Amino acid sequence: MIIDAHVHPIYFDTICGDDSVLKFRSEQFGIYKQSPYSYEEIIAEMNFGKIDRSILLPLDLTTQSGGSIVTNEEIKKIIDRHPDSFIGFASVDPYRKDALEVLENAFANLKLSGLKLNPSKQQFYPDDKLLWPIYEKCREYDKPIMFHAGLSWEPNALAKYANPIHYEQAAVEFPELRMCLAHFAWPWVREMMMLMIKYPNVYTDTSMLYMDSFNDFMERIFMKEMDPLTLERNFAKQVMFGSNTPRFRAFKLKKAIENLPFSEKVKANIFGGNALAFLGEGK
Amino acid sequence: MNKLVSISCMSEQAVQMINITEEVHRIVAESGITNGLVAVITAHTTTGITINEPLECVETDILQRLEKLVPDDDKYIHAHFLPSYGATSNNSPGHLKSMLLGNSCMFPIQESRMVCGSAQHIYLVECDGPQTRKVYIQMMGE
Repeated sequence: MIIDAHVHPIYFDTICGDDSVLKFRSEQFGIYKQSPYSYEEIIAEMNFGKIDRSILLPLDLTTQSGGSIVTNEEIKKIIDRHPDSFIGFASVDPYRKDALEVLENAFANLKLSGLKLNPSKQQFYPDDKLLWPIYEKCREYDKPIMFHAGLSWEPNALAKYANPIHYEQAAVEFPELRMCLAHFAWPWVREMMMLMIKYPNVYTDTSMLYMDSFNDFMERIFMKEMDPLTLERNFAKQVMFGSNTPRFRAFKLKKAIENLPFSEKVKANIFGGNALAFLGEGK
Repeated sequence: MNKLVSISCMSEQAVQMINITEEVHRIVAESGITNGLVAVITAHTTTGITINEPLECVETDILQRLEKLVPDDDKYIHAHFLPSYGATSNNSPGHLKSMLLGNSCMFPIQESRMVCGSAQHIYLVECDGPQTRKVYIQMMGE
């Protein structure tokens, strides 16, 4: 089972019926010159990359921007149509007065599989006690959290909120809560490793590529910024394959990771096993 | 008289030859144009339009030669994040293969039929797939 743990379905045509919604999404996400694509096209690309399932991430920006990049209900709509291809996460704006009710509905009624939060875009620090009831709700339902971490390309999304140092308090106080700090928290790769070495409930993903080619970037991160065996020795169960589609094409990123000299066992973890553990499947 | 029709093709591979000859024949036959010219033009910068013989061995040689001329793993300056897209395309090989192939072809129309040799087939060549692509069929004549 190959899982892409980081996909934003903003151009899935199932949820692209309204031009004004699409414009809002594109502006808030900071992506341009792309158009909606069909399920057949999405599946063709997943098949070509030999990717079985993708985790779909919404983002609730109610108090910051007056809307959502993708809503929980839109995620539910996609999942209901294609349950074998996609795994749906929820999102909630922590500043909403009804944040806990939104989250309760997402887990209890919409049956979504985890929570997406973006401290940079939603403008909160992950160690702000405002978040504690939300973390508690995730723990209650045994749902993982996919946090944005590190550089965010989205407009009005400051990196200061997403420095790994701000996640440590939550990792300490919620040791049963599985949390992914996405994008290897790039450029804070060392800080990301610092958290992972101490907190086994902290995961990351590979969705980073802000310079150079897929091969060059993956080579530099995993073979130069780390020693060639660093991931193999220390983080074999905490790094998930994630693409950040539609910013980066999944099959190209996957191929670059396949080219790295990791053992087959570690590659199997990266490309699926770790995502299953993060999702809590097989517990 | 001019008539423009567009067709959509979905590729399933990164680089793939898609034979669109029959579709162009049908569009020309239904156009109402008796004598003139038809141009087949891709709407993209990472696809090509080329004419060749529809033999599997020929198609294989074309694809292998393209890969040899423009290897995927070479060093390209276009391999970087594009702020104007908010995305990284890393698709220089697609642009360069497209440049080698050209973006269009033309055939005469005579007695409501596209005139071409029996070995001449029209290919849309995907160079950065899988994707859905658009091809224009522009017919001019009387």
